[in-house]
Amino acid sequence: MRPFKFTNTKNSSAAINLLDRNPNASFLAGGTNLLDLMKEDVERPDELIDITRLDLTSISSITRGKNAGGVLIGGLGKNTNAANHQLIRKDFPLLTKAILAGASAQIRNMATNGGNLMQRTRCSYFYDTAMPCNKRSPGSGCSAMEGFNRMHAVFGWSNECVAVYPSDMAVALSAMNANINVMQKEGQIRSIAINDFHRLPGNHPEKDNTLNHGELITSIELPKNNFAAHSAYVKVRDRNSYAFALVSVATGLVLDGNKIVSAHIAMGGVAHKPWRASIAEALLRGKAATLANFRLAAEAEMSHAKPLFHNKFKVGLGANTITAALQLASKGTDAVA
Amino acid sequence: MEEKNNLIGKAVNRIDGVLKITGKATYATDYPAKDMAYAVLFKSTIASGTITDIDTTKTQESQGVLAVITHKNAPRLNVKGGLRGGALLQGPEVYFYGQHIGIVVAETFEQATHAAHLIKVEYHKKEEKIDFEKLAPSAGMPQGKELADLFRGDAKASLEEAAVKIVETYETPIEHHHPMEPHSTVAVWEGENVILYNGSQIINGAQASAAATLNLKPEQVRIISPFIGGGFGSKGGQWANLVLTAVAAKMVSRPVKLALTRQQMFNSVGLRQRNKQKISLGATKDGKLISLAHETTTHTAIDGEYIEPCGDCSKIMYETPNSLISYRVVPMNIILPTYTRGPGKSTGSFALESAMDELAYKLDIDPIEFRLKNQPERDPSNGKPWSSRKVIDCLREGAKAFGWEKRNATPGKNRIGNNLIGYGVACGSYPARQRDSSAVIKLTRNGNLVTATVEIAASDLGTGTNTILAQTAADGLGISMEHITVKIGDSNLPPAAGSVGSVGAASFANAVNDACTKITDELLVKSNKKFFVRPTASQLMISEHINSFDTRADAKAPMEAEQYSAHSFNANFAEVHVNIHTGMIKVTRFLAVTGAGKILNPKTARSQIIGGNIWGIGMALSEESIIDPRWGNFATRSFGDYHVPTNFDIGKLDAMFIKEDDKIPNKMGIKGIGEVGIVGVAAAVANAVFNATGKRVRSLPITPDKLL
Ligand SMILES: Cc1cc2nc3c(=O)[nH]c(=O)nc-3n(C[C@H](O)[C@H](O)[C@H](O)COP(=O)(O)OP(=O)(O)OC[C@H]3O[C@@H](n4cnc5c(N)ncnc54)[C@H](O)[C@@H]3O)c2cc1C
Ligand code: SF4
Repeated sequence: MRPFKFTNTKNSSAAINLLDRNPNASFLAGGTNLLDLMKEDVERPDELIDITRLDLTSISSITRGKNAGGVLIGGLGKNTNAANHQLIRKDFPLLTKAILAGASAQIRNMATNGGNLMQRTRCSYFYDTAMPCNKRSPGSGCSAMEGFNRMHAVFGWSNECVAVYPSDMAVALSAMNANINVMQKEGQIRSIAINDFHRLPGNHPEKDNTLNHGELITSIELPKNNFAAHSAYVKVRDRNSYAFALVSVATGLVLDGNKIVSAHIAMGGVAHKPWRASIAEALLRGKAATLANFRLAAEAEMSHAKPLFHNKFKVGLGANTITAALQLASKGTDAVA
Repeated sequence: MEEKNNLIGKAVNRIDGVLKITGKATYATDYPAKDMAYAVLFKSTIASGTITDIDTTKTQESQGVLAVITHKNAPRLNVKGGLRGGALLQGPEVYFYGQHIGIVVAETFEQATHAAHLIKVEYHKKEEKIDFEKLAPSAGMPQGKELADLFRGDAKASLEEAAVKIVETYETPIEHHHPMEPHSTVAVWEGENVILYNGSQIINGAQASAAATLNLKPEQVRIISPFIGGGFGSKGGQWANLVLTAVAAKMVSRPVKLALTRQQMFNSVGLRQRNKQKISLGATKDGKLISLAHETTTHTAIDGEYIEPCGDCSKIMYETPNSLISYRVVPMNIILPTYTRGPGKSTGSFALESAMDELAYKLDIDPIEFRLKNQPERDPSNGKPWSSRKVIDCLREGAKAFGWEKRNATPGKNRIGNNLIGYGVACGSYPARQRDSSAVIKLTRNGNLVTATVEIAASDLGTGTNTILAQTAADGLGISMEHITVKIGDSNLPPAAGSVGSVGAASFANAVNDACTKITDELLVKSNKKFFVRPTASQLMISEHINSFDTRADAKAPMEAEQYSAHSFNANFAEVHVNIHTGMIKVTRFLAVTGAGKILNPKTARSQIIGGNIWGIGMALSEESIIDPRWGNFATRSFGDYHVPTNFDIGKLDAMFIKEDDKIPNKMGIKGIGEVGIVGVAAAVANAVFNATGKRVRSLPITPDKLL
């Protein structure tokens, strides 16, 4: 690990100022991603600003204004607390399911909600400093494109990068149209829709998201929704726990009897950001909640996939997983697979 | 043998359990030394070629750095000293990706790690041989004579004649040992002698190879290794890191600690090779095997040969007049493969026992019945009688306990919700041997209390060697366990075999038992009395007022053992649930039934068996290392990519032992259980997956994508 300066503060503005004046500084939250990357010499900050003492950990209902009925989750709260909070379990169980499908209990106890949004890809070439990687070292090439790309993207990739964004939590946030509130220098607040937060790689795979250096994630806002009773998170992985998704699907169904009023579907493990399955969503609107309709919509969505050499299976698996998640959600949030 | 205490065969708790759970057990890196310096290895980033330049200027200037050691300044070592895998910094040649090419020694581990990142290496690259798919057709005969083609009858012609046959190829990937404790060493020089604290499965072997490599006499090297955090074969033969720590310590004139990182473990300490195994089985219509061929194609290192014997189980498991066992091997730019739990048998049994299942389906016979029909009377490979062979009991009793009758033979018919349920069975075996070992017993009397110290350069991988030796001595001397001190894991102790190849328990316990018998005999002579009932050593010490008494026994396998074929055998039963949408598999139940001679301690034995089962399940479902053929590196480079099973992957595990009283392999009737627990496991799981889904996956691991 390279030597670095370590600073901590209890004050959000101070933290932002400290970061802002040093382009090579990073915030340190739970450290479960950043420290690993520093040990591997992938991330090389020369200053860490510890933000774990900032008073940004609470979870509260929004009682007034246009977002009344929603919930505000502190950016520095722990994943475990977000997953298990009664407000979340009751009204936003999709988030609980997605968070608990990720990592391990120990890691979720350390990991923060902001850090989770900011976690970097698990592409193994990104981690190996001896390998070309445009994300780690722009212009060096993409090793995964012609390499071992079984875990990689089938949607929205570019010739520069085919990595996927690994978070489970964010897939649920995407299906729930969450907003990410960030604080800038001088205390301004900016709100970014989750589906605009992460980006596709395009020509700048080094940029995972639209957060600017010097901005601090203060909270995540969940707008009220009507699918708490019919939501599901299905994660397919190479072992039953503690592995990143091959494909995952977060879904919520708003049902009127057996009719689908609206379907909310986001996928993980398939793109550089949570992938909103809008083609499937559009097809399902107004249709009956039947297995046949679920399958049709799922296949329509996946027919647009552009798989790589080693991940062709994700097309069929994606369709199966969307179908399975919709079926599960239609049976009710507490149904078991 | 005295059985006053009757502890042998009892589920006694580990004597070192408390030490371990309180963190007081001293593993290699736990040894304190004054002025310790820390070494970090750095590795090649090409698979084949030569180093043309190593620029260490920045490294040398980096804070805390004490030395940078490369092939340019490393002392000359004896590369034929018996260490595995080369990488001793003796020249600029690179034979595999991740070969050690230097060491940085610094005041702290962090400083050394950082400084190692600053090194710049220039290479002259040669074309690497790394793409196994492309190279496999050019594989040739092994150099080792023991793996020459083995014919009995005419396997090819009889296959032609067989009424029912299958010919299939089964593939297993590269796997790693990944013991919980990564390989690590603390080296402390005392003048011309060096002490190496280092987890070693073979204490005397580590001593001999370290000494020879360092051009020292064996007595100048002392290995201390009372506890080992697992090894699975990777700490059997020793690797460069052991001696390089000693080199670093010599060069900085301070004690040095070197621990491999988990990432470095992928290409520093051997691996289980990738195998393509072609199995051809032919049978008569009523299910008698008439032909069995097991042809393995694999790879080894450029600069050394090790081949795991995949055909071993096929030699002995079934009666057939015609058989062929063969190996073809291609050298590749990859670290030397090595002994990996159940070497050859675990991977070989996946191929053989999957093929047996396939043929049973073709014959429309229950797979258990099919196996029972083809049991050999004698060892088919050499005609020797079995010392004992409890496969039939394992299958029958296992089937009963597992509820085999509930299995629906037709795939895809057993379904609950979105899960297909399947049952699978597979057998396995592993040789039983005793190797030369010596033990010393020292008795001390204080009034009416006699205490004993047992000394033997045995090793304990974490399996419970300490405990079974205390049980053996307690029974043999008539002293309770708490008054027995077991000293192992030190090359200054009487020489012993290793905890390898399932010989540990038989070799160590028989040596201790012989020493107990001998010391009692000697005390009897000394007493000059005759007794109606043979007294214990403890009673003699008291009755004869002897204050201290020592003896040493040098134990060997019985001569007649050679005339028999001795193996542990098992039958494995798996129940799997396979999700129809996602292809995710869960092994909901697993039962291993083992006939392995005398079980010294059912509690530690069960742990060993279920530990083997868990790795076997990992082998079946998730473990795989993938090489990127463009560079020769592992694209799977952490526990995030190399998936060992988690608790959630493992359902209910059960281990049953079939009673076996077989004193042929050794006096105590111990056959060994370390390896057999993994043999047959992957096949049982794969067969269960077929029974659930109707999909026969012949290439491990069975990940969800393979079931779509
Ligand atoms: C072994 C392992 C398995 C895992 N498995 C999964 C999995 O299955 N699914 C899954 O979703 N995740 C998984 N994770 C990832 C885990 O969820 C993330 O590491 C964690 O959420 C990161 O949070 P942190 O607080 O530790 O972030 P840190 O490591 O502290 O920070 C990560 C990044 O976020 C930045 N940052 C942190 N907080 C803020 C903020 N408030 N504002 C702006 N920037 C900020 C930091 O500067 C840094 O760049 C796994 C991690 C590990 C180590
Ligand atoms: S996919 Fe992206 S992260 Fe992976 S090697 Fe290519 S550029 Fe790097």
